[in-house]
Amino acid sequence: MGTSDGQVLGPTKIVDAGPPEKRWNIVIVSEGYRSDELTQFAVDAQQFADALLAAAPFDRLRPAINIYRIDVTSKESGAKDPKKCGGTGAKPRTYFDASFCTNKIRRLLVAKNSRVLKVVDKHVPQWHVAFLSVNSPISGGSGGSVATFSKAPGSVEIAIHEMGHSAFGLADEYEYYSNCAESGHNKHSGSEPSQPNITTNKNRATTKWRSMIQAATPVPTTKNADCAHCDPQPSPVAVGTIGLFEGADYYHCNVYRPEFDCRMRNLHKPFCGVCQQVIVKKLTPFLP
Amino acid sequence: MAKSRKTSKKSKARKTAKPKKKSTKSKARKAPAKAKARQTSPAPMKAMRLTFSYEGDEVKLISQKRTEMMVPPSDPVTGFNKQKGFWAELKNDRDKTLYRHVMHNPTRNDAEVFPETPGQSISREPAPKRKGVFVVVVPDTDKGEEVTLSRSSPDEEGPESGLRALASTPATEIMRFKLKK
Ligand SMILES: [Zn+2]
Repeated sequence: MGTSDGQVLGPTKIVDAGPPEKRWNIVIVSEGYRSDELTQFAVDAQQFADALLAAAPFDRLRPAINIYRIDVTSKESGAKDPKKCGGTGAKPRTYFDASFCTNKIRRLLVAKNSRVLKVVDKHVPQWHVAFLSVNSPISGGSGGSVATFSKAPGSVEIAIHEMGHSAFGLADEYEYYSNCAESGHNKHSGSEPSQPNITTNKNRATTKWRSMIQAATPVPTTKNADCAHCDPQPSPVAVGTIGLFEGADYYHCNVYRPEFDCRMRNLHKPFCGVCQQVIVKKLTPFLP
Repeated sequence: MAKSRKTSKKSKARKTAKPKKKSTKSKARKAPAKAKARQTSPAPMKAMRLTFSYEGDEVKLISQKRTEMMVPPSDPVTGFNKQKGFWAELKNDRDKTLYRHVMHNPTRNDAEVFPETPGQSISREPAPKRKGVFVVVVPDTDKGEEVTLSRSSPDEEGPESGLRALASTPATEIMRFKLKK
């Protein structure tokens, strides 16, 4: 089990924007790829890099971003897929011991992240974001300091959403915890959240992203008429309008998000204007 | 090795920091050989990479590693003392916040679960036994003396009690330690 089940071969810079001590550095590490599958990992990592750099606002921050892949072999392909979660029962011998069904949640795919960090620290000590690319077609992933994703369709979307959390401190903008039928998520009763993309402050003059709200945009921009449920109304304003849309941070009411939709609310959507501004502000110092 | 306040007497128990009104830009230690290399490029900085582990309520500092790298700009260093969430602060010897990094709580006891098909919704599920590691990088400055972690406590009652993702109270300091010099 573990490090005896493979070998760290080393890093390759696949997107080169300059010296790592002056740029923002992303690292993608392979897990569950046999040595004869590393050519495929090179393809997978490049596809991931291309998709990431095509997503706004990273498309206009390219000169700030280096991307590395670290080739790590495993004796066997894939990740553990326990039967107790309805999986196949496969137990491949892999370097980072990645497994679905963490905490008995089928799609929660987690590896030995301390081991991943050791490898990343050693080979790209200036890293800012670490991803673990798991060679499995089963849908799954997890966030945190090592964002983990599989090869299932949509995994890049998961990875970018998780990077919104781990690299930029962005909050979830969806307005429920597990689903819209649940109870107990009517009204956000808490203090003002520290994250930059959600707020309880509906005062146009003082709210977090006040400078981005046009004078003609109503505030709040949407109000949920029934706080017992998620708000079913379509957006009353044009796509891209920044305002205060009620429902975010796992609650239906009394908390607001900046746009009707965002990558931090739904996969396959672009980051909203406020989330993009946060990312640009964080990465601008890394531009040449 | 520093431990979270709840579990270790070794950690320095102090009051939650009350930030002053004026912000201070931290002056990074420049790498002498490379700082003049390209005037059009930002100067490389020294940074301290801090690695933590967590399990249950316990958070431990595992390592402090000095690295020549740039750190993203600070989050607001004033006006946050009643906010909820999770963040790290770099402080000077007078307890003034020099740098602050707001984080999506890395010590969560639940998990985000993603849909298998586009168009379906993201959801969350409790995962009470989650444990793991997380990393904070702060500028390594002459004035930076200590690092603190602050976190909101979850509700203690109700069907979703204990879930840190739903914590609603202002964050309080859970850990403080001196930076390695
Ligand atoms: Zn957003």
